Amino acid sequence: MACNGTGCESGCYKDSTGDEVEKSSTKKLNGDVNGDGNHHRHQTTCLKCKAAEATIFTGGEGGSRFCADCFRSNLYGKFKLAVTSHAMISPTDKVLVAFSGGPSSRVALQFVSEMQLKSQKNFDATAIRDRSLPVFGVGVAFIDETELHPITCTDFNKAIEDIKEIVSNLSPTKKELHIVPIRNIYSTKTSDGSETLKNLINTVSDATGKEDLLSHLRMLSLQKIAIENGYTKLVLGSCTSRIACHVLAATVKGQGYSLAADIQYADARWEIPVVLPLRDCLIQELNILCSLDSLKIVEEFKDSRGGINGLVSSFVKLLQEENPSRECTIVRTAGKLTPFPFNKIPETNTDSNDVHLASQRRHKKFNLKPIESLPPDSFCPICNSPIRDLQSVTSFTNSQTTPELFGAACCSSCQYQILPEELSSMEEFYSFLPQSIIERARNGNQKWIREKIQDCLILDDEDEV
Amino acid sequence: MDGAHGGEKTKSRLCSICNQRRPALKRPKTLQQICRECFYVVFEEEIHSVIVNNKLFKPGERIAIGASGGKDSTVLAYVMSELNRRHNYGLDLFLLSVDEGITGYRDDSLETVKRNEIQYGLPLKVVSYKDLYGWTMDEIVKMIGLKNNCTFCGVFRRQALDRGAALLKVDKLVTGHNADDIAETVLLNILRGDIARLSRCTSIITGEDGPIPRCKPFKYTYEKEIFIKDLERIRPRAILDIIKSGEDFRIATSTKMPEQGTCQRCGYISSQKWCKACVLLEGLNRGLPKLGIGRTRGVNRKDDQHNDAKNIQSKPCGSLDF
Amino acid sequence: MQLTLEFGGGLELLCDSVKIHSIDVDLPAEEKKLTMKHLLAWVRSNLIKERPEMFMKGDTVRPGVLVLVNDCDWELSGQLDTTLENKDVVVFISTLHGG
Repeated sequence: MACNGTGCESGCYKDSTGDEVEKSSTKKLNGDVNGDGNHHRHQTTCLKCKAAEATIFTGGEGGSRFCADCFRSNLYGKFKLAVTSHAMISPTDKVLVAFSGGPSSRVALQFVSEMQLKSQKNFDATAIRDRSLPVFGVGVAFIDETELHPITCTDFNKAIEDIKEIVSNLSPTKKELHIVPIRNIYSTKTSDGSETLKNLINTVSDATGKEDLLSHLRMLSLQKIAIENGYTKLVLGSCTSRIACHVLAATVKGQGYSLAADIQYADARWEIPVVLPLRDCLIQELNILCSLDSLKIVEEFKDSRGGINGLVSSFVKLLQEENPSRECTIVRTAGKLTPFPFNKIPETNTDSNDVHLASQRRHKKFNLKPIESLPPDSFCPICNSPIRDLQSVTSFTNSQTTPELFGAACCSSCQYQILPEELSSMEEFYSFLPQSIIERARNGNQKWIREKIQDCLILDDEDEV
Repeated sequence: MDGAHGGEKTKSRLCSICNQRRPALKRPKTLQQICRECFYVVFEEEIHSVIVNNKLFKPGERIAIGASGGKDSTVLAYVMSELNRRHNYGLDLFLLSVDEGITGYRDDSLETVKRNEIQYGLPLKVVSYKDLYGWTMDEIVKMIGLKNNCTFCGVFRRQALDRGAALLKVDKLVTGHNADDIAETVLLNILRGDIARLSRCTSIITGEDGPIPRCKPFKYTYEKEIFIKDLERIRPRAILDIIKSGEDFRIATSTKMPEQGTCQRCGYISSQKWCKACVLLEGLNRGLPKLGIGRTRGVNRKDDQHNDAKNIQSKPCGSLDF
Repeated sequence: MQLTLEFGGGLELLCDSVKIHSIDVDLPAEEKKLTMKHLLAWVRSNLIKERPEMFMKGDTVRPGVLVLVNDCDWELSGQLDTTLENKDVVVFISTLHGG
């Protein structure tokens, strides 16, 4: 039946409540239109301190108005709340920040070092009396993908210099910087990693599939760096805007089941748990902070997204222009989907009593509910997405994996957009896969994950006691 | 782009189902190139199996087909009458059309619906806003101007088919929502933050929740449809994938729809004391058309509404038995 | 070249509510064949009276417009590169709602 809304053609000049909001907010910005001096004054003071003049207008929920200082502390506050309420970083951690050069990961880097600086100060203040709370360590990883997206040598060298400079200027302590080419996902013995990688990407015909495969490989690469260098957490700069795009893109790709796993604050399905402390920050806010504090951005590696991902980004951008809280709504809605047991930081077994009390306190304080859902049956060896019904769980009882068995173990989305359709190309694709992905399919992943999830489950039970 | 093959090459290619006739279209769902005749067969049989597998109807039921005169509802009327005959569903079918009472607006589509009535031999019932609410849209616009009439049209329209169906005393109402529509609804509910509706908008029978609310501001609908069409162009199966996602979302069964009661005045489903349509009607009938528009909840906030009961009766509001 | 064009699903509103147009298009200079690409450009400048963005996007039709050349989906005949012949019938239907 044709849209029930067709009647609007009959003379509807007012097309959305969004317009109304827009109009009234313009009015607010040009407060003097009303001719009322006082009113105008009131409209431009900072909403938070109510003293300084507001110079920053964020498009966020409620369209806040801040002075520079309050804006900064508000944004850092969101980061800090995410970190503390989800126990993202503990004093004994060594965290690896994934830095892409863009504004989100730049701010993540900045905030993590600010936090490190603060705990250093705390440590110094209490050092004489009590050395029980060490300062967490911070490292930075940059994945070099220029062999897939070539840029000129001058640009590359300049960008690398910039990255080094950014990292070396971070206080308090010198941070380890890992600049690693993405081909390193292949074991160091094979020298032709670069060729194999290009071949692998080339066997994928779907443009969106290529992009997604690359991002899975990027994660693999980050995990590898973290494992090899003794990091205990991986920090990503994914912001609300990025997550909103992921929600829609995953929906469009038919990944409704696994979506909830990707958009939580913490994701411990990886060997090194991944945390998203900027989940509640909008890209607009991060951009404002970067220009406000002159945080240097490295633009050379800016990736343009195509296919479904590109389409979704431009759609979300359009919606956001129409209604500035749209991205928040999308993430909030998807946030109501039931997360998986691994969507929390597993607690270490040392001093389990203390940790336990702390965890209970944290749950009470931030009103967190334990995750009560069951773990998924298995994980896709390519994208590590949880899969509900495993068709071929028995296939892997013997350690022999064939391209067909491998394909059958993948999630339906990867099967469609990444795996080649024809058997011969599938065999090629399979032969170009990094060993770690094959391993994942063969044995380790499910067993390993199950153990990990078991930890989470037991803790949940105990929480309730 | 396979621009190389021109017209001749196409003519030599054959339908991938019957292998006899020239293909006329490419099915987005399967990317098969098939001829017109095979398309009809495949399409109708798919609908038939959906009807059978989901046990949508029982023999002897009275079924109203929501008919707007648009493409989807015309196709639906055709397929329903055809399948009912071919597979002996034993259904009593009616066409149900709503006339908003906008001069010069429905004329064309009502003509189409009347043609459907003759073509498919289905009795047609046109219910007007005047019948249902006591007001035509023209009268409403005269009263409140062009500015807010969308609110009225949207709220009234949402209920009109259901109320019309109740007037006809039918057992079920079928509408021509297609995969695009459902995909759109999934996205829309994500965009609006409506987790409860998200959990059931892919279900084939919307049942007691009432029809999926669909009257959105035109511009918004338009952008969303364009987005879906864009998606479909790069990846035809995206539409079905969105629906799959909608079905697979991990939504706790405890997520409740907002408390669903019935309107004390007309009996239509409503979470408030009065349904939105009755609130708006109340405003119209009392000469306060702004009632129920915007943030204030209008009469639902007041307890002294019964004092105005007499005014309500001054205009009929299409009393219905549900 | 004589062609019959049909606009439906609301697209007729963009060209004075006339659904069927019998037209005569000249071959573009230096070309031997008339393609859909040329025809679309011609339609845009000669038939579409208002809101061309409802019909075209870039040099092709907007997503959601179904194009049939002699009752056959133009996706099968090469879309913009489809060659037209004398007396061909081209149908444009909007598949968007509200059309």
